Amino acid sequence: MADRATGLLGYRVLFAALAAAVAFVQLLPLNLGPGKLPGPDVLMLLAFSWVIMRPDYVPVALIAAVFFLADLLFMRPIGLWTALVVLGTEFLRARSFTLRDTPFLLEWLLVAGVITAVFLANSLILGLFAVTQAGFGLTLIGLVATILAYPLVVILAGRAVGLKKIVPGEVDRLGHRQ
Amino acid sequence: MAVGGLVLVLLAVFLLWRIDSPRAERFRAQIVDTIVPNLEWALVPVTEAVDLVRGFQSYAALQRQNRELRDELQRMKAWKEAALQLEQENAKLLDLNKVRLDPALTVVTGQVIADSGSPFRQSVLLNVGAARDGIKDGWAVTDGLGLVGRISGVGRNSSRVLLLTDSASRVPVTIQPSGQRSLLTGDNTALPILDFIEAPEEVRPGDRVVSSGDGGVFPAGLLVGNVVLARDGRLRLRLTADYERLEFLRVLRNQPGETIAPPEGLVGPLLPAPSVALTEEDLQPEPADG
Repeated sequence: MADRATGLLGYRVLFAALAAAVAFVQLLPLNLGPGKLPGPDVLMLLAFSWVIMRPDYVPVALIAAVFFLADLLFMRPIGLWTALVVLGTEFLRARSFTLRDTPFLLEWLLVAGVITAVFLANSLILGLFAVTQAGFGLTLIGLVATILAYPLVVILAGRAVGLKKIVPGEVDRLGHRQ
Repeated sequence: MAVGGLVLVLLAVFLLWRIDSPRAERFRAQIVDTIVPNLEWALVPVTEAVDLVRGFQSYAALQRQNRELRDELQRMKAWKEAALQLEQENAKLLDLNKVRLDPALTVVTGQVIADSGSPFRQSVLLNVGAARDGIKDGWAVTDGLGLVGRISGVGRNSSRVLLLTDSASRVPVTIQPSGQRSLLTGDNTALPILDFIEAPEEVRPGDRVVSSGDGGVFPAGLLVGNVVLARDGRLRLRLTADYERLEFLRVLRNQPGETIAPPEGLVGPLLPAPSVALTEEDLQPEPADG
């Protein structure tokens, strides 16, 4: 029991460390000029992939804290992206049990839907509150890049660190790990 | 329902940011200031390592560049001599004139340690802050070639520069030689827009653009760039500053322009109301002496 608890804490710390590494790479002052196409939002993909594979490794508080810090560091309107990502991860967390058995393509489709909803809600709310935001085209390119990068993040940030979806036999009827 | 509460709290923070933006941005600057400069030991070497890897990719280009830099260094040494002589001559002449240069126009040099982290925000973080260098919000930043942006967000050891290409950047400029005023508006592309030009037919591509100092916000006369006519038909600015290679930036210390205070000394303070009723006697003028 005790080493299961430390295992849990270890994976949570690992998630925080991965998020910190992603933020570090994004803050590096390379390619400072404007006019570059936006890349995928790796932090959001990291949270979504981990919440589907192992929901108890990423509690809501951890996700909220990590994304709130990211909002502050990346010059985004504080709190909005965090709120939307929390809603997205909670939606996926509720379905993570069913998603264990679905083929990867369907899971990708569902995650794509959630990502689109987050991006759209972000644009709508910013438009509602008259906050200047990037043009529609750039946001769309970012959205498509994020959706396309989901399998890469699943492989790199999931399988590579030893995360897999829970297979039958690993948990008993009550959902506790053996 | 803890999740619902959490989401509501986050949305409330967003509302707070929207309503009281300066306070929220100060909070952001404090957090960034505590976190990012502590990573300078990692950010700077990694940046330099990536640049080195790019350099290794074309070894021949590196050798050629080395040779060119050596030649340039030799030429620069000659310029350095000339500059030193001019500086001495200048000091002598100024002394003759008894002119004192404004000590307010000094510079602080800072190094770029981090990006803004988002492709939609054009800003960089400098490693000079309020504690040691006295950086204040709104000061102009140049890179030696031309204007780069302004300080927007100051922490103890770091400060954020909002580049001219960011969509929130607005700088009043003057287009020479016609002398027209315009507003340089960033729109997240490499060529910011020149807005509100009164007589666009008097402006020609290639005209030099300098900061106008309107509103006492920026010092006047800083070179910003040259006018170009973009493909979409609008007048845009090609910046002289080298945005691809921002490394060492100079922050110009300028105090805000002098504002004329309201003439408070003209009308004196209200006298207290008399507590005793005035009699006829008091109202008569005093008899003059003599």
